[in-house]
Amino acid sequence: MRMFRNLKIIVFLILLIGVFVVLNLSGFTKNIKNFFYSVSSPIQKTLWQAGKNTSDFFSGIIEIKTLKKELDSLYTKNQELLGEIVVLKELKKENETLKEALDIELQKDFQLKIAQLIGKDISQDSILLDKGQKDGILKGMPVVTSQKMLLGRIGEVYDNFSEVILISNKQSSFDAKISEKEIFGVVRGKGNQELYLDLIPKEKEVSKEDLVITAALGGIFPQGLLVGKIKDVRKTDIEPFQTAEIEPEFNLKNLDYLFIITDF
Amino acid sequence: MTKKIIFCIILFYILILIQTSFSVYFKVLDLIPNLVLIAVVFITLFTPQQWWGVSAALIGGFYLDIFSLSNIGFFGFYTLVLLLFSFLSKIILQKYVRIPLFKRI
Repeated sequence: MRMFRNLKIIVFLILLIGVFVVLNLSGFTKNIKNFFYSVSSPIQKTLWQAGKNTSDFFSGIIEIKTLKKELDSLYTKNQELLGEIVVLKELKKENETLKEALDIELQKDFQLKIAQLIGKDISQDSILLDKGQKDGILKGMPVVTSQKMLLGRIGEVYDNFSEVILISNKQSSFDAKISEKEIFGVVRGKGNQELYLDLIPKEKEVSKEDLVITAALGGIFPQGLLVGKIKDVRKTDIEPFQTAEIEPEFNLKNLDYLFIITDF
Repeated sequence: MTKKIIFCIILFYILILIQTSFSVYFKVLDLIPNLVLIAVVFITLFTPQQWWGVSAALIGGFYLDIFSLSNIGFFGFYTLVLLLFSFLSKIILQKYVRIPLFKRI
């Protein structure tokens, strides 16, 4: 009797594996996912907003003491920044004149499509956007924030939705360089919103707070997008290259709308 | 039984939506709790009938497959893993664990 029952379980599991293999090979899973995302997206948007509001409310209460200290330091910093703004405004004017002269504008470099963030994957290194194949989104397109900070690239595309593989995903790696130093390396994801710069030549001097930007070498991302800043540098005598921890510049908690670069 | 399965379908749907949208903001030790997984484990371990655990594993795994990006990119990965867990844990509990909760009267 028990033998018969175990046999039934094994047959059931084999049948189920067969069904999943057929679903995966036929690509029907995309339709199933798209259907569920379409039905769930209004609820997910509401829950996303509710989560954000609740989190803001509680973090406000918890951090009320530190907020006062921060306020004082920010006031001082603000004064310093005001001074810097005056200098930067002058530089901006100069820059605009130069741009006009060279006929280079950012919108001419990139064609952007705005999308709303509606869900986050449990593995924490992919997110879901409300734009898909019907909006002209294709696999591999870079995704940036409004401040042109690199977030990731489009992974799976559905009719009305698309998944973004964040740069911190373990599957992600791309060429990057350290701004103003011409030091090249490969940025690799570590998972859990952490990433590091690998294959940095040993003789190059990398320091904390250095900004990491995308390089044109790999062709995956347009060059000059901000990736993050160096948090920690690791150098050993045994290894031929040095590595550096990168602190990503994006914070998923504060993101609502993102931009997909459709052409670069 | 049908009512209980419908209850499971609705419960897990709510849990997966909360997990992917709401609980993202509430990390515990830098991790987002996998509510669906917790519910499946709980149901499998604390319900005496096996069909409860199997149904929970099937429904929960299916939702996890839909709303998450599997590391190996195979749709059905979570369903199969949870089902295996459900079957194996029941076998282990029935064969090797003797606690009053599973004693038949």
